[in-house]
Amino acid sequence: MDENSQEDLLDARLREEAAYIDDAGFTGRVVQKLPARPVRHWLRAVILLGLTLVASVIVYFLSGDTWFIAEGVARFTLLPLPVIWLCAAAATGLVMAGGLAAALSKSGARLK
Amino acid sequence: MALTDADLVARVLLDDDHHAFAELVRNHQSSVRGLLRQLVRADVSLADDLAQETFLRAYKNLRSFRGEARFSTWLYRIAYNCFREEARKRKELVGIDEAQLEATHDPQTTDPALRHDLAHALQLLPLHERTAVLLCCQNGLSHDEAARVLEIPLGTVKTNVLRGREKLKRSLAAWGPN
Repeated sequence: MDENSQEDLLDARLREEAAYIDDAGFTGRVVQKLPARPVRHWLRAVILLGLTLVASVIVYFLSGDTWFIAEGVARFTLLPLPVIWLCAAAATGLVMAGGLAAALSKSGARLK
Repeated sequence: MALTDADLVARVLLDDDHHAFAELVRNHQSSVRGLLRQLVRADVSLADDLAQETFLRAYKNLRSFRGEARFSTWLYRIAYNCFREEARKRKELVGIDEAQLEATHDPQTTDPALRHDLAHALQLLPLHERTAVLLCCQNGLSHDEAARVLEIPLGTVKTNVLRGREKLKRSLAAWGPN
């Protein structure tokens, strides 16, 4: 037998040795470990907008079909001036804290 | 009609399609696990852990697959890197193979039950020759593709395949009928 046919025979035997390995749940285990798909930005926006609309409609009907926002503002203006200032300061603080938390979480994610 | 590897990769990249990636895993799990089993000397559990790590790395780095090589070649490269890292951790990469070969290569001392066993003959090859033979002769990679997988010069791959084949032939001939 010549050199080439001996090599062919050896290669053929090697390929025969490589029997097919049954999956036996291997693919499932790999897919389970894949990172979860992030919710798309547009989908997140649609969900938030939809929830806001639904909440607004519910509040409108629960308030007896009245101009609840106008009524709320009218009631707020009747409060003593220091309370109004306090509410404004609290709202400003809340917005600033929210912005700061968002900025910190974004910079933290970039550092990772 | 079955989708090609390129189609499946495109789906994963465009839609983060886990089903498409599962199809890729199903198509290649046998060859990747088989190669790793041969590399880690039939430690099935370790080989499967490394194969899992291979596919997870492939998923995370899929954008770096530019389609210049076959998807399977790219996977083998990741698998070989996973194996090398594991071997480095266990400090088993270099040295032991040669020593083991010297100790067990004598056909007269080989367990008679293992005679004619090509798989056993493969295990006796030094790691660099075994890997080259497995990639080129068993998994059908060209020398050039194997050189890319192993990150070594083309000439070295050819030499390793040649020497590996020679040793295999000698082993099988020596274990032949008495």
